[in-house]
Amino acid sequence: MVDKSEDNNHEAEKKLPDRPLECSECKKPISVCYTEIIGTAITRTSMCADCPELQRRLHGAPMQQPGQPKEEGKTGLACGNCGTTLESLRVGIPVGCSSCYEVFDDVLLAEMLASEKIPPRISSTKKSIPIHIGRTPGESQEMNPSLRLLALNEALNETLKREDYEQAAWLRDQIKALTENPEKTNEGK
Amino acid sequence: MKANDNLNPILSQKKPWSDNANPIWLASTVTLLRNIEKYKFPAKLSSDRKKQIIALVSKDLLEMEGIEHPFLVKGEELGFLEKEFLIEHFLSTHNYNQAHVGEGFILDKTGEFLVTLNMRDHIHLQLIDCKGELENTWSRLVNIETGLGKRLNYSFTPKFGFLTSDPTQCGTGLIVAVYLQVPGLVHSGQIDEMLEKHLDDTLDISGIQGNPTEIIGDVIVVHNNYTLGITEENIISTLRNFTTKMMVEENSARSKIKRDDNAEFKDKVSRAFGILTHSYKIEAVEALNALSLLKLGAEADWIKGIDNKQLNELFFNCRRAHLLRHYSQEKINQEEIPHKRAEYIHTALKHLKLMI
Repeated sequence: MVDKSEDNNHEAEKKLPDRPLECSECKKPISVCYTEIIGTAITRTSMCADCPELQRRLHGAPMQQPGQPKEEGKTGLACGNCGTTLESLRVGIPVGCSSCYEVFDDVLLAEMLASEKIPPRISSTKKSIPIHIGRTPGESQEMNPSLRLLALNEALNETLKREDYEQAAWLRDQIKALTENPEKTNEGK
Repeated sequence: MKANDNLNPILSQKKPWSDNANPIWLASTVTLLRNIEKYKFPAKLSSDRKKQIIALVSKDLLEMEGIEHPFLVKGEELGFLEKEFLIEHFLSTHNYNQAHVGEGFILDKTGEFLVTLNMRDHIHLQLIDCKGELENTWSRLVNIETGLGKRLNYSFTPKFGFLTSDPTQCGTGLIVAVYLQVPGLVHSGQIDEMLEKHLDDTLDISGIQGNPTEIIGDVIVVHNNYTLGITEENIISTLRNFTTKMMVEENSARSKIKRDDNAEFKDKVSRAFGILTHSYKIEAVEALNALSLLKLGAEADWIKGIDNKQLNELFFNCRRAHLLRHYSQEKINQEEIPHKRAEYIHTALKHLKLMI
């Protein structure tokens, strides 16, 4: 959504486009509006916080300066199976195949941690240990039937603590319905 | 738009929500994301291979026991209306409008089961539940998933679990979302406080269209934030705990509003009543917001002539594709939709009486 307008300021104001919801480079939510004024030309770009485009504009263009060895090894990383590159991952494009998970192993973990998409305790675990817990292919699992009761009991304790007897009664009714008729479910009131 | 087709299997699906009398729990969806071993993910997959995936999965699923009369619909066979209908029906936050050659859907007769093929991942298995039975719904879905897993191999590594095209969804590949309608908390201004009190970082909140800042119709969508490093049972029990507490808070808020007999709330409900019964044109968002206030009013006995079942059904039926389906015998222009919606709501609420 780069919008160039060569008019004077007043007209540019009028033409101000609706603020886009997504980064123009990727699909992440917008957090930075970058406005560049060169002479009478105004360029507006909306970007997400970790946009490489933003980095390029703020700190010059590392990609266009071949002399810079900075991060060279990393930016060249690509998946041999499907051609997904590290650059494309950084802008939020989904990975292309199962092999990507091996190729980008550490990068993916770092990204997930940064976006708080995995429980924080995982950052402290060792690299080789599986992060996934729970079922593996072909394994089926029975849900503990008391889960719902546990939730109701916990809520009941809370309501009793603050002496909300009306809600406590409502919860008790549900517990009763579940324990007397475990097959039947009785939601709501 | 081929709309005047009563036999259309998608538009004539059963409506699992039409029988939901729950005043708060509108619906919940349970989704498992899976990919097939040795195939690249859909974004990098050639259309020939995509067709192979559709053939592979549908062959197995269509024969599987435990699914009621499943049928396959290919992306290119669907019109705009049907795709939008699916989005509304299954409360999807994905956009199916781009589904075309190489993408597909498998549905069944219950109207609760949806498989999307080659949309972001090879397989999204989804069940919608309108009875508040998260645990059973999950078990049903796992049965289907393991059944399918006997016939084909899922992409899996011990470290990252089940692999998905979006790395933030790998691991269990399980997404559970609960749709709670909480007008009491929203209109009494307690919602933020309650979310802060009960919400931890394993859960996240958004609105019905996936936007976290826009709450439409006082519906909050609670879904798990983590799919990796957490068990499925854990995900379900955290959601069950949270929703139970939120329902208690919402019930308290509604009883308090009823007891206080507050003029502000009465005004809000009367206005909502006025908008719904007297507008000539009404947009979906406005209708959904007003319908939510009617729930509050019905609970406080300020309005008569409607129950939660009807209000929950209206919530689905006044959205665009459902509305167009209702008027499928007529030809309706885009501009006429708000008027038709108003007309539809008037009919549905014709026995409604304001008691204040």
